[in-house]
Amino acid sequence: MLHPILKNTQNLIGYLIIWLVITSIHVFILIYFYNYGITISLSESLVFNILFSVLGIGIWYPVYYTDLEKNNVINFITNHLAASSLAVGIWLWIGYLILSSMFSASADYILYLDASIPWRVGLGFLFYVLIISNYYLLIYYQNFKDKLTRESELKALIKESELSSLKSQINPHFLFNSLNSISSLTMVSPEKAQDMVINLSDFLRYSLSQPKEALTTLNKELTNIERYLRIEKIRFGNRLHVDKQIDELCLKAYLPGLILQPIIENAVKYGVYESTEQSSIVISTFCSKELLEVSIINDYNPDFISKKGEGIGIRNVSSRLKIQYGREDLLKINKTDNKYEVIMRFPQNL
Amino acid sequence: MKKIKAIIVEDEELGRLLIRNYLKDENEIEIISECENGFEGIKAIQELKPDLVFLDIQMPKLNGFEMLEILDDRPEIIFTTAFNQYAIQAFELNAIDYLLKPFSKERLFEALNKAIKRIKAHEPINKNIEKLTQHPIDEVIERIVVKSNSKISVIPVEKIRYIEAQDDYVMIYTSEGKHLKQATMKYYEQHLDSNQFMRVHRSYIIRFDQVVQLEPYGKDSYIAKLKDGPTVPISKSGFKNLKEKLNF
Repeated sequence: MLHPILKNTQNLIGYLIIWLVITSIHVFILIYFYNYGITISLSESLVFNILFSVLGIGIWYPVYYTDLEKNNVINFITNHLAASSLAVGIWLWIGYLILSSMFSASADYILYLDASIPWRVGLGFLFYVLIISNYYLLIYYQNFKDKLTRESELKALIKESELSSLKSQINPHFLFNSLNSISSLTMVSPEKAQDMVINLSDFLRYSLSQPKEALTTLNKELTNIERYLRIEKIRFGNRLHVDKQIDELCLKAYLPGLILQPIIENAVKYGVYESTEQSSIVISTFCSKELLEVSIINDYNPDFISKKGEGIGIRNVSSRLKIQYGREDLLKINKTDNKYEVIMRFPQNL
Repeated sequence: MKKIKAIIVEDEELGRLLIRNYLKDENEIEIISECENGFEGIKAIQELKPDLVFLDIQMPKLNGFEMLEILDDRPEIIFTTAFNQYAIQAFELNAIDYLLKPFSKERLFEALNKAIKRIKAHEPINKNIEKLTQHPIDEVIERIVVKSNSKISVIPVEKIRYIEAQDDYVMIYTSEGKHLKQATMKYYEQHLDSNQFMRVHRSYIIRFDQVVQLEPYGKDSYIAKLKDGPTVPISKSGFKNLKEKLNF
């Protein structure tokens, strides 16, 4: 995060105005309550307040490096106690040096300056607390705003994926061919036709309802993939071979809903649709406490696939991962002569 | 009366089964073969000479249109497909009908009756190659199907080095050899990726990354030296376009 005061002139001017007000009050008090002349009053308030306003800008750094969420209370207090003592110490020492040498002739003022140290210490700590409170508020506000924009971006993307997933179901490849298979099955095997209708309905229902909740379990995602693959298996018979290596422990892990579907559809499209022989899809999962990893491998013939780069499916998944987790390293593609592997990683403790 | 001989070319078993079941009690037609892909389809059509083909469009390796493109002697066609965007091209190919999946038995018989009428009348099929616009005008093709002797090859466009016009044909030069195909330069000018290919001369389309050197050749014309030796003439306007594209 950029320095909240220095990042634009508007903030800097606001900050300086606050100090100008404090300085004016300071001058006013010295003149009316302590009866000092204008020179002394102006010098003292300028010296101390300019010094603290400069220190105040520097105080951002202990705040920045003492994240409220990542530090425990003891850490937090120690860090700020050290930083505030240093700041207040420097402030008083330099201020005192300047003023005592400026007005060494006025014994009365020097006496007052010496006596004022205890309450100045108190004032310094008060300034410090006020300044860090403001900084933390600003950080909090900025994080909140970031979160809002991230969420709205995510919503837009999910909507897009909802739409494209809807499209892929309405596309001739899948929906109409499935319906044609069902039409054919009604004549030879009504039970199988019924199975397929139910499967197709469940698949459509899940796909249409899913995106409303952002995260879902691997178990639910895999169940839906299973429905889709069962339908394709009825269409393509032995041409489609699916091998699943699922670690039972991973089933409860979380991932964004419908994120595997476009990858599986691609695997079927480039594997089975384009091949006359048997084509395999291997789905495997690995997981630890922090991470779920899903790998989807399909056979493909590089001669028949255009090299125009990744399609909409992969792009969409990649940007969803980026927005959901704020990381760019979660999607990886490995291509060999006849295997295409997509590896997706999903952080778990958020 | 002689039965109409038909074959089904369709990659999904249930799709074939559906047509077979619909036609089970129909006496005027006999299914003499079923094919799972375009290659099998070509073989069956050449060997069995059917009167009618039920043809799917989306199939692995060789799609329905590509299959027709290399047949010299084409039977009557009824397309069966889930795509509706190919209907215009299908009718330009003078297909009898275009059935959208899933289709009813009545719809199939409607198509079949048209076929029976046409076959009995011995109407000649229009095989004009100019009409073979299998792709929408702005669609970029990714492969070209060619036939040399009896061998059918599918060439990914990435392997094409340049294309030369030869009367009613074009010669396609690839990294592995050359193939003659009945097609027009205009067709390839429109359907090859313009980020990779350019028509640089009335008779030549080249792939940019093949160009090694450009030299002036007479007044207002140039020649391009390509990788591994061949040279290709370039017209004045071709040179101008090529210069822009290659940035020099």
